[in-house]
Amino acid sequence: MREPGLTPGIPHQGGPPPASVAAPGGPGPALGRALAAFTGRALGRHQAAVVRIGFGLVWLTYLLREWPHRRVLYGDRSPWSMELAQRLLADNGAFTVLPWFGGRLWFELVYHLAVLAALAVLLGWRTRASTVLFLVTVLSLQNRSVLLGDGGDNVVHLMAVYLVFTRCAEVWSLDARRVRPGWGGVVLWALLGAALAAGQFGGFSGDSLTWTGPTFPYLGWSPLFWGLWAVAGLWWLLGRLRPLGEPRAVLDALANMVHNCAMLVIAAEVVLIYATAGWYKVQGSRWQDGTALYYPLHLDYFAPWPGLSALLGSALLPVFLISYGTVILQVAFPFTLFNRRVKNVLLAVMMAEHLGIAVVLGLPVFSLAMIAADAVFLPTGVLLGAAAWLRRIRRGAGRSES
Amino acid sequence: MTETTDRPALGRAWSRPAQLVLGLAAAVLLSGTGLFLAAVFLHVAPANSLSRKYRDEVDGVVYPEFEQNWKLFAPNPLQQNIGVDARVRTAADGSDARTRDWIGLTAQDLAAVRGNPAPSHADQNLLRRAWDFYDGSHDPQDEKPVGPRGRLAEQYLKRIALQRIGRAVDGERVVEIEFRVTSTTVPPPAWSGEAAPPAPKVRELPWWPVEDEDYRGLG
Repeated sequence: MREPGLTPGIPHQGGPPPASVAAPGGPGPALGRALAAFTGRALGRHQAAVVRIGFGLVWLTYLLREWPHRRVLYGDRSPWSMELAQRLLADNGAFTVLPWFGGRLWFELVYHLAVLAALAVLLGWRTRASTVLFLVTVLSLQNRSVLLGDGGDNVVHLMAVYLVFTRCAEVWSLDARRVRPGWGGVVLWALLGAALAAGQFGGFSGDSLTWTGPTFPYLGWSPLFWGLWAVAGLWWLLGRLRPLGEPRAVLDALANMVHNCAMLVIAAEVVLIYATAGWYKVQGSRWQDGTALYYPLHLDYFAPWPGLSALLGSALLPVFLISYGTVILQVAFPFTLFNRRVKNVLLAVMMAEHLGIAVVLGLPVFSLAMIAADAVFLPTGVLLGAAAWLRRIRRGAGRSES
Repeated sequence: MTETTDRPALGRAWSRPAQLVLGLAAAVLLSGTGLFLAAVFLHVAPANSLSRKYRDEVDGVVYPEFEQNWKLFAPNPLQQNIGVDARVRTAADGSDARTRDWIGLTAQDLAAVRGNPAPSHADQNLLRRAWDFYDGSHDPQDEKPVGPRGRLAEQYLKRIALQRIGRAVDGERVVEIEFRVTSTTVPPPAWSGEAAPPAPKVRELPWWPVEDEDYRGLG
């Protein structure tokens, strides 16, 4: 965007002052602007929404797909019995509510709550509450049977934590469409508060709901859950009593800051995933000699279509190009973030590669989770374009129905 | 598009207390985020002088919920297919124990994975990772557990097999179980000119007794 009335290409012209000058006496304008952006708005709202929708969808699909196997994987029929699980949990201290009661009924309750939480996150329904339920249920199931997971579960696990801190329902959500807050939220808040109080003081939660932790950083889960609950209550109260007052505005600015930090963490996490995957590959002899791709294609557990795998791995040139291309892509990714266009091209290639992995290696959950994580780097223009396209399709479908 | 033109709340004149709260919060949040990311970075980076110095702090932040391992197919992709088989001894009242035929547990998994666009974790990960767990917690020479998790791994592996085999074979009660694990190195690609890999390695685990207790909850 060019300032009106200025000659392009010549910097440092006296033009109209920038719209957002920091208050006189404050820090320099650049720092002031940065601070104003940090506190003033939730950056990357569309990206946050896509990450939320993506992970809600991935976990929902996974839970429904595993529904017939749920009791063997996480429930009362698991070969990793609750007793074995508890011996490991006592050792690693991971959070899960499943041992609170054991037994089938409680497990079924948690599993189906997980399905509902994933659906609510996907739709952006009461997102402040549903992301917390998503976190609790994802961690409960995964930590109960920690030996079941793969890279995809790991990404879902991390994002379930990070999403709690984002304002991921500002767009493309049921929350964004709600005209008036209504009383549903209050009821939900009271229910969750009661559930939390029961867990905290009921004497059945063992060491999972504590205020402090045994090791650095000495924090348990209780401060987080009670803190989120208290803030939600305060938020509602101020919204009713003094919707335009300063305390409410401070809360809003705080929420923006937390969101912006969480988005930074999500972005950094994706960068770390690719960077470490790339850096360790560089050291591997099979990646150096350009045959690495051939081997995963010949692992029985990851060959749902052996004919396709054999075909892909049959010729020297494609195997070499994809092997080297993957390493170059992963090593280069962090640095391409400084150039929009190159970053977008790489992003498209990586998403395509993950689609390929989904089909060829039979890892759809892992691949979709990675694509959902990649989405944090998609440009807003592309996301808005995709949304408009979806709307057109829906309208077209609506017309043909009527 | 109204969605992109949200007015940032710029130029709001904050009162002194509000400035204090926001300034403090910004400092805490930014330093907290920075330290968290530093801990995660040190966790995924190769062991280094810094991560050794702050090992307790890094581990405290990362474990148990932020553990991650992104050495996907690195430094080298896995180059072995591992097949787990099991067989049992059964006993009828008043007669000698009979040793039954080997059952291909991995073969059952692979049959379920073949042609399946979305393989279940029950087929793709359960047994595969249980074996990794066992392998990582046992000495391959004498099959003795190393560390406290070895016994958990044995119990887990045994229960996975028993769930598939059941309590009885041909009406005779299962009294013992044995595992056999075959590791086959993937032959190098035809164009590489590398020598063919050594023959598959077979590892036999000792016979383990099977009690009623081992079946608890297996359905």
